[in-house]
Amino acid sequence: MAETSTIRSSKPSSALLSAETMAKLERMELVSRKIFRGRMKGERRSKRKGQSVEFADFKNYVSGDDLRFIDWNLFARMDRLYLKIFLEEEDLHFYTIIDDSMSMDFGDPSKFFVAKQIAASLAYIGLCRGDRVSVSSFETSASPVVIRGKSSAHRLIGHLESLSCVASACTMSESIKRFCVKNTGKGIVVLVTDLMNKSGYEAALRMLVAREMDIFLIHLLSPEELNPAAQGDLKLVDCEDGDQREVSISAGLLNRYQQTLAAFIEQAKSFCNKRSITYVPARSDQAADVLVNEYLRSKGLVR
Amino acid sequence: MNWISALGPLQWLMILAVPPAVLSLYFLKLKRKELAVPSTLLWRKTLEDVHVNSIWQRLRKNLLLYLQLLFLALLIFACLRPGWSGQSRVGERRIYIIDNSASMQATDVSPNRLDLAKKKVRELLSDTSADDVGMVIAFSDRADVRQGFTKDRNRLFNAVESIPTTSRGTDVSEALRAAAGLANPGRSSFDNLSDIMVADAVPATVYLLSDGAFGDLGDFEMGKLKIEYIPIGETKTNNLGILSFAVQRNEDKANKLEAFARITNRGDQKVDFTASLEFDGKLLDASAGSVEAGEEAGLLFELTDTDEGQLKLTLDYEDALAVDNVAYAAIRPLKQISVLLVTPGNNALETALQTPRVQQIASVQVESPTFLTDPKYIDATLNATYDLVIFDQCSPMQMPSSNTLFIGSVPPQVATPKPAEESKEDAKNVGWKFGEPKGPIFILDVNRSNSITQFLEMGAVEIVEARTVEPGESGTVLMTSSDGPVFGIAPRGPFQDAVLGFSIVQKTNEGSARNTNWWARRSFPVFVYSAVEYLGGGVTESSSPSVQPGWPIGLMLSSRFQDYRVVAPDGQTTDLVRGDESRYTFTKTDEMGIYQVFAKGVEKPVESFCVNLFSNRESDLTVADSVKMGYEKVAATSSVVQARQETWRWILLAGLLLLVIEWVVFNRRVFI
Repeated sequence: MAETSTIRSSKPSSALLSAETMAKLERMELVSRKIFRGRMKGERRSKRKGQSVEFADFKNYVSGDDLRFIDWNLFARMDRLYLKIFLEEEDLHFYTIIDDSMSMDFGDPSKFFVAKQIAASLAYIGLCRGDRVSVSSFETSASPVVIRGKSSAHRLIGHLESLSCVASACTMSESIKRFCVKNTGKGIVVLVTDLMNKSGYEAALRMLVAREMDIFLIHLLSPEELNPAAQGDLKLVDCEDGDQREVSISAGLLNRYQQTLAAFIEQAKSFCNKRSITYVPARSDQAADVLVNEYLRSKGLVR
Repeated sequence: MNWISALGPLQWLMILAVPPAVLSLYFLKLKRKELAVPSTLLWRKTLEDVHVNSIWQRLRKNLLLYLQLLFLALLIFACLRPGWSGQSRVGERRIYIIDNSASMQATDVSPNRLDLAKKKVRELLSDTSADDVGMVIAFSDRADVRQGFTKDRNRLFNAVESIPTTSRGTDVSEALRAAAGLANPGRSSFDNLSDIMVADAVPATVYLLSDGAFGDLGDFEMGKLKIEYIPIGETKTNNLGILSFAVQRNEDKANKLEAFARITNRGDQKVDFTASLEFDGKLLDASAGSVEAGEEAGLLFELTDTDEGQLKLTLDYEDALAVDNVAYAAIRPLKQISVLLVTPGNNALETALQTPRVQQIASVQVESPTFLTDPKYIDATLNATYDLVIFDQCSPMQMPSSNTLFIGSVPPQVATPKPAEESKEDAKNVGWKFGEPKGPIFILDVNRSNSITQFLEMGAVEIVEARTVEPGESGTVLMTSSDGPVFGIAPRGPFQDAVLGFSIVQKTNEGSARNTNWWARRSFPVFVYSAVEYLGGGVTESSSPSVQPGWPIGLMLSSRFQDYRVVAPDGQTTDLVRGDESRYTFTKTDEMGIYQVFAKGVEKPVESFCVNLFSNRESDLTVADSVKMGYEKVAATSSVVQARQETWRWILLAGLLLLVIEWVVFNRRVFI
């Protein structure tokens, strides 16, 4: 079985990623607005000058420079020694962090499932382009699965499928802190979360910003949260901390809820924009591939 | 603005408890359905404005609550019945006179006439203004001021409610006099004509609630009273009642008794009835009879082998008035008076004491004067064995502990005055004054008010010789002769002594000579019988005396006992305080039934008497449509009977109900 899955791993037709989705994804690539140093030689241009076909600049020769890079044609013309500098091409570090708190387990399909779909899609793009892909949840942020290469796609899918919502999930800021400590490299971070965190999300995002990473925040909300369909006199129970709120649903109350929701979204958006975090609102009832193909493309994460 | 509280204190408390109750409804938590949500983060923020922790802030801006509280305030304000005092509103005096005689127990109206009268008074009371003062008088055969003039309507209500039912007769004049006296303040003194009035006479309205069974009120002066007569009861009400019930011994057969009853039919049709007679609680006899409308009928029961006990006659006929369908009689205990006659020889007296009537009530022991020194006599007098000692032509050394009758002799301490040895008891007898025998005399007058001399005819009696007898201050002269009083009676401690100033026979040297021709007259045995009956405390009739409820009864009780107590039909006992006279007056006769008198140390009752309604007027349930007051005729008023029927309480209740419904409906729709 293991072999079968290995064979089929290049094109896993799991619930997370369908075959045609994967085919579409293979033609895409992750775009970073920043240029980062990679660890290995990859397909990405690097700030570092190095050996590639892409010319970058000339510089005066000083003793000790590699004689192989002297532009002899220019020496012939100007009788001075110049070195030809080429851009180095490197790999891209791509991190996906999924919120696995209990609040993500709501909606049909659940927000968590959609989050996994998004993570799988983006990670698959990265794998296809030879980027270094790291997938983790809040709970597993300390020990993410780090993979490279399209052939490892099955590992990625397998890991994502094994993830589930955990009741005792760490708070967002704790998880991000651990993530930052463990992953010193720079790169693209995609955070999929509903931001429903009573202790606030600002501290966590600030930590990521401090790492000078290219941050994408996919704010995933279910239709139940966007348009509550509840009616009557209710006692609302928070699935995470058991907090209870007594409400009698009325038109006025729902109106007020919408105002609060809009304010919440606006606040998150403005927080992100101020810190160059790309804020991407998303609905869990939206298909993940549409989200990746069209929505994230328009936001510039993929192309 | 005047405040007339429409509610009592308790009702006010209830009304004032409503606003806090409404307020508490707002804090009341609904039973809510639980619903799990991803996070209450947004809900918390949403509810923060509305659902603040402070309960007062929570109530802030709650328009419904304010409206409800305003509504309540208006309701309470309305209950104060605010109004402006105008010129026409002069405080009136209203006197409510309510009949609570026996006939008011009639159930021809529901629940009975008295309760209906109370209800009508309540209606009248609730229609009075705050300035009006009211007074409540209940009357039966006497007036009972239940509440003097007051503005406090609750006290008037309570006074009306507390009027008890009685089985007494009806006499409204006392109540009207009380009303007139309290309504028209008179002079403080009638002697001083220049005396000014104590207060201005205020005209008063008298509401007389009665069935009108009190007849015309002779010369009653209404003065400033304005009388509104409100008849209570149906105009035509049939009723069957017992007018009398008595027991008598059959003269021919010694052990037979006859019980008579008189039944009246105050209805307008002939009535067939059955009457049952109970003896000591057991059915003894029953009899059927019929009475024509407006007529009376007699019933006779023959009783054999009944010694003593209690009889109860019940008419088994359903009518409006139940109290007159029952009558009681008691067969008196057979009791013999113990009489000692001390005489040197007096055939006339002895013969008079041998008559069957005297024998029926008394046992007579005849002794000669030597018996007075016998130790048996001394024992007997000290132990009060005798009810009556008759001293004929002799007198004892010391007065016995019993009633005495001296014939032709005088009590000892006067005949042989011994001031040094005078005891306390004798000291009282100092009042006696005796003259020297003189004659001849004739009797001018006898005291008809005393039972001894009540029936005596002394006109043709000749007396050879007699001495005057003056009984002193506390005594009574019973017979006055041409020479002065010759027969007197006076109390001596608990006993009574009677002294006749002349003897029947006179002992002379030749034998006995007649002193008077009285002994040959018919009045002599009557005198002896009356004297034995009165002085011996004798019981002469087999049927106990009967009085109407509430009336006093005189009891003749033997002087042999010091303490008596009366047991009423409901078991209440009353101790009788012994006065100077052997006649007792007992007044607590409100309960109908048989009363028994017990002497201390004696198990059987020594006397019994009955309290029966026996009133033609009370049994007549016809309601008078007018009453005559002096020269004026007061017709029944129907206008005041159609009193305002207060409905504001129901409207108030409906308002409160509306408030609750409004709250429920509103809360189902909107919470904020």
